[in-house]
Amino acid sequence: MQAEDFHDSVRPGLIAMLPRLMRFADVLVGARDEGAGLLSRALQLMLAEQHRYQRGTSLDVWAFAEIYRYWLSELRDHAEPVAQARIDETRFGELFYAKGNDYVDASVVAFLGSLSAPQRLTVLLVYGEGFEYEDASRILDVPPETIAARLIRISAVLADRLNARPPAQAAATVETLYPEGLRG
Amino acid sequence: MTELSDELLIAYVDGQLARKQTRAVEGILDQDDVLAARVDALKHAHARLEAAFEAILAGEEMDISEVPVPQDDGIFVSWRTIKIATAGLGLAVAAALAVAGYGWPLKLPGQGAEVQIDVPAQTAPQPQTSTGANR
Repeated sequence: MQAEDFHDSVRPGLIAMLPRLMRFADVLVGARDEGAGLLSRALQLMLAEQHRYQRGTSLDVWAFAEIYRYWLSELRDHAEPVAQARIDETRFGELFYAKGNDYVDASVVAFLGSLSAPQRLTVLLVYGEGFEYEDASRILDVPPETIAARLIRISAVLADRLNARPPAQAAATVETLYPEGLRG
Repeated sequence: MTELSDELLIAYVDGQLARKQTRAVEGILDQDDVLAARVDALKHAHARLEAAFEAILAGEEMDISEVPVPQDDGIFVSWRTIKIATAGLGLAVAAALAVAGYGWPLKLPGQGAEVQIDVPAQTAPQPQTSTGANR
């Protein structure tokens, strides 16, 4: 009975975090309409399988992981998964410019639009959601070292672009934290 | 000039270094303007990313709080409201089916048997969100 109470609380928990789930789905597929569709389908599956939500796991970590897993499963079933995963830059840009929103940062928006879906989500989870590398790695089902390697590459490139600084020479690197093989 | 890799500097900026390593990097940054400028550039890049994602979230929250206003010539319902309602409907339908005992597809493509989780029935704590999330 008490276990049922625990799982009964999944639904209101998911509703409370709906804006964050919508943002995650939107950034994943690169457009609002498709993001809303993906989220709707993933939510149905999550509720049907809420018994898989384990005590001790953060609900947001579980929910984001389920959405990502659902997207991957749909992608695998698609006839042209690579084309399906590609985003339209114009529609992706529309995610940032909501009605009444005065946000303008074309260079960052264009940069995010140039990233792959796993790279976009990595940045969203760590810098947008504030997750630790460990939680981001659970959500995206990759080692924490892969999360770190993605962030290193993305942060360095973005910082260079925003500061118009030429990329660092390999010879200038004297200390590294992660071996080449773990960069993803 | 001391040379530190971007890997090390980004780990420092993201707070991923051990305390001893953090102190060592801070000691170097105090004496090296070039490295300090690089750290500032990385922090600036991260702040721009945070602002970008915050803009999306603000749009989502605004859409959800948007209340349809009845008009004389009909009822106005925004497209976003319809989508949110669709997601909510999905929640309700799935919950109703679960209560009614109807099975939903309990496997994702490529997965094996349904995962069974034995949840101890001693307490019923509320699901928690990650402590680091939504800072």
